[in-house]
Amino acid sequence: MLEVKKLSAGYGNIQILWDVSLKVNEGEIVALIGGNGAGKSTLVRTITGLLPANSGTVEFLGKSIDGLEPHKIAELGISHIPEGRKIFTDMSVMENLEMGAYPKNAWKNKKNTLKKVYEMFPRLKEREKQLARTFSGGEQQMLAMGRGLMSQPKLCIIDEPSNGLAPMVVMEVFEIIQSMRKQGITILLIEQNVKQTLEISDRAYVLENGRIVMEGDCATCLASEHIKKAYLGL
Amino acid sequence: MDLFLNIFIGGLLIGGIYSLVSMGLSLQYGVGKVYNIAHGEFLMFGAFITYWLQSMGVNPLVAVVINAPLMFIVGFILYRTVFTGIRVRSPNPGVFESNGMLAAFGLYFIVQNIAVLIWGSTPYSYQYLNTSVALGPSDFHLNRIIAAVFAIAIGVIFYIFLASTRSGKAIRAAAQDTATAGLMGVDINFVLAMCFGFGAAMAGIAGTLISVCYPIQTTMGLGYTVIATVVITLGGLGSIPGSFIGGFIIGIITTGVAYWEPGLAVAAYYIIFIILLLVRPKGIMGR
Repeated sequence: MLEVKKLSAGYGNIQILWDVSLKVNEGEIVALIGGNGAGKSTLVRTITGLLPANSGTVEFLGKSIDGLEPHKIAELGISHIPEGRKIFTDMSVMENLEMGAYPKNAWKNKKNTLKKVYEMFPRLKEREKQLARTFSGGEQQMLAMGRGLMSQPKLCIIDEPSNGLAPMVVMEVFEIIQSMRKQGITILLIEQNVKQTLEISDRAYVLENGRIVMEGDCATCLASEHIKKAYLGL
Repeated sequence: MDLFLNIFIGGLLIGGIYSLVSMGLSLQYGVGKVYNIAHGEFLMFGAFITYWLQSMGVNPLVAVVINAPLMFIVGFILYRTVFTGIRVRSPNPGVFESNGMLAAFGLYFIVQNIAVLIWGSTPYSYQYLNTSVALGPSDFHLNRIIAAVFAIAIGVIFYIFLASTRSGKAIRAAAQDTATAGLMGVDINFVLAMCFGFGAAMAGIAGTLISVCYPIQTTMGLGYTVIATVVITLGGLGSIPGSFIGGFIIGIITTGVAYWEPGLAVAAYYIIFIILLLVRPKGIMGR
């Protein structure tokens, strides 16, 4: 579904990603793990058009999306749930969700989609008129995920959803990610919470210093000495 | 007591025009991130287009129908050509903001020179509904009352547009977080150009309303840019309701100061501006 080939990117003269290649097949949850500053968010921002690539290509559903503006990529069916939630704090919960359905095709179905999202997140329904700024971190993450679903995406790229959340809420977030997959949405999950991420994912890529240093199915990764040492503290 | 009521009503009447000019600048600077020093020049052009149309027998308020779309198109094209180009070439939003301001500064001189070439620098005026109407304790000119009502109506219509339409919500989302609005599927370059166009159109409409009440001249623009800058700082950058309310507050304050000592009216803006930057840089409605 998504194929990144030999992607290099960075900010100005500072190159951050070096020949990164990865692949996400339909129906999978693929994890991208790595520490702070490994380049995870840079990779995601390059895929969704927020940052230009220096070289390499990105294909989605067999077609190149290189150089497309973010809104064009969103219209193709990629939903980027950004790091730090990035909800619209001065808008109501419902307006945030409506913004998620901004692409024309999604806008037509927004009533139905809204109903489904409210079923998944009943708390959002209860507080639909409230300003998003009044939400706690966990609630904001739920809103960001609900908003990401409103475009009826084929692929969801979720950047560090568990960041800064209490353990109980993190579990809830991971359960929602699994139920998103059950609804037929393919997921690329970027995380620092390595153990839980590998437990719910099918395959994983490990990014270090802007390079993919390991890839494989999650069981293999969990068993690897490098992962145990560097990420699990074992 | 009558004196205060007079200042209050007089302030509200001029405040309507201030609100309109300021909402325009708020769209250009708060959303589009271009501090458009040439904002008042759109106002001046709007005033002169109205003058020209009324001299051919068109009702000055009807001139808005031609004036506003024309200014929108000029503003939109200007953003798409000049400012989008600068935005795309800027490595970060900070660089865009400063380079955009410098470009707007250049634009100010270009428009000024053209206007002086065409119209010189003498004042022009015409008579429209210059009768007096009792409002509160004293009489006010009917044209000023109509101009204020017109400005308020435009403000309310635009607020409803922002609150309830798909495009209006896209503008509000872009005002809060441009990059994330893009991720939602909003065509950022288009929406920012639209904001710049709406801002220019509001300045144009304000120009029409000013020409209805006061003499106009080619150098009139900069003063309104200054007032709008104070108002959007007071109201909170990018907050349309803030600019709307702020316009009336500044209108009342300056009317009061002008009553006491007309020479201090301009100094009063700057004093308010500097105090705001020190005490509450986010403005009354800003967060």
